[in-house]
Amino acid sequence: MSSSEPRCESCRHFTRAAADIEALLPGLRTLSSAYAAVRSGDGLCSVHDRYVAGYGHCELYRDGPAPV
Amino acid sequence: MTDIAEHISPQAAPRESLWGELIHKEDWWAIWIGLGLIVVAAALFVDGGTLRWIAVAPLKWHQPAEVAAQLREHWAQYAALLVLWAVLFGIGAKGLRIKLAQFLPAFALLYVTALALYFLGQWDQASHYNLEPPLVALALGLLLSNTVGLPQWFGSGLRVEFYIKTGIVLLGASLPLTLIAWAGPVAILQAGIISLVTFATIYYTGKRLGLDPRLAAVLGTGGAVCGVSGAIAVAGAVGAKKEQVSIAISLVVLWAIVMIFALPLISRELGLSTGVAGAWIGTSEFADAAGLAAAQTYGGYAGNVPGIAGSADAAVNAFTLMKVIGRDIWIGVWAFVLSIVAISRWESTGVKTKAGAGEIWRRLPKFVLGFLLASVVVTLVTHGYSYAEYKKSVLPGLVAPLQVFRVWALTFAFLSIGLTTRIRDFAAVGTRPFYAFTVGVVINVILGFILSTQVFGTFWTRLGQ
Repeated sequence: MSSSEPRCESCRHFTRAAADIEALLPGLRTLSSAYAAVRSGDGLCSVHDRYVAGYGHCELYRDGPAPV
Repeated sequence: MTDIAEHISPQAAPRESLWGELIHKEDWWAIWIGLGLIVVAAALFVDGGTLRWIAVAPLKWHQPAEVAAQLREHWAQYAALLVLWAVLFGIGAKGLRIKLAQFLPAFALLYVTALALYFLGQWDQASHYNLEPPLVALALGLLLSNTVGLPQWFGSGLRVEFYIKTGIVLLGASLPLTLIAWAGPVAILQAGIISLVTFATIYYTGKRLGLDPRLAAVLGTGGAVCGVSGAIAVAGAVGAKKEQVSIAISLVVLWAIVMIFALPLISRELGLSTGVAGAWIGTSEFADAAGLAAAQTYGGYAGNVPGIAGSADAAVNAFTLMKVIGRDIWIGVWAFVLSIVAISRWESTGVKTKAGAGEIWRRLPKFVLGFLLASVVVTLVTHGYSYAEYKKSVLPGLVAPLQVFRVWALTFAFLSIGLTTRIRDFAAVGTRPFYAFTVGVVINVILGFILSTQVFGTFWTRLGQ
């Protein structure tokens, strides 16, 4: 992966906002938190249906914010 | 496309800068709040003042009329304390982008409930009826959230981790640096053994049962290192499926809640000293909040239940050393190592990542730094005092008010655990993940007991004295 490749964290398929993560992973806030430092910049990818690091990259990258 | 797309906020969260981390992560807010209180308390103490007035807490009582009398006498202090907490946690919530219009009323209700619980714990018959505040908080919360339910706005104030991390930073003020240096290596050794054995048990049991290696690793870290926080840290590092994260959350929460009740109960039946029981809980509980609830419950038995040796604080101190220093601090290392394994050994997820040692810092639970800094500050301020002087002036003037703040913060957390645990939210985990995780729990509890009572038993007993 080269440093110039766009990263998951700016992809429209990537959800990183803490409130959204807690809504998508019920029970997370009971004994942990989406606001925790251990979560770093991770988020949920709606294409792969995976919880991935924000610095990842894939060929299905789409620029821009998520559609409303 | 999955249900994730339906939950995405209209505006994507901006990429976090280094400075953004400092105001958008609760670990840092726990440090600002906890360490801020400690620095103010230390500055006042050096200048001859104290935070004792506002660090108000219920006293022991026998008749309900005594509760009313205490409230009449100290209502202004309780009101001032509510304002102080609301301002501090409110600023933190604002930094975390939580709506203040919902957070503040929710926190006020949480405070009032915590006050009632605090008073209940000070009833002189509370231990006789097993009404330890952490257990009552959990049971009450579980009952309410799973029967009548809670209004949505109240959920904004139920931030378990925010309160527990603040409490742990404040706890650093009660632990001299010399004690951390003395007990830390033993905690790291014991926790290291238990973490490696528990992870290997869950991971290889899971693999034998045919689980995906990413799910086995996420479950293994959840059981071995730091509960749900460990599980999500590793899930992100290895790129686990969303449903695998949900399975890990459900299993960890389920077993952690069972352990909150079971570990103090078994320890009490066996008559373990507070230091030994705290070490066992720190070894065998998965999450900080759940473990502190169990450890504080057991500490409450000291002096109230016949046959329980050791000081009340020893259970919480031993737990914290074991869990925070021995286990939590290594989350980043686990994530780093497993991300390398995932890239080099496991089937590709379609998302390319590059493992780097920076993972260790990025995933470090930063509140641990606040815990250590708190210990440094109080150790420096109290350096040079004799034991008699410490008991006479330092303890009541500096340490005791900070201990009161800590108990409040932990009580907010204990209440929030039960109130946010909704059994209907638990994911369907399947039998194979359940078996793999449960085998790890059994091995962890047995090995943790042997290490805490036999191998290092003398050490943890001394800590309690």
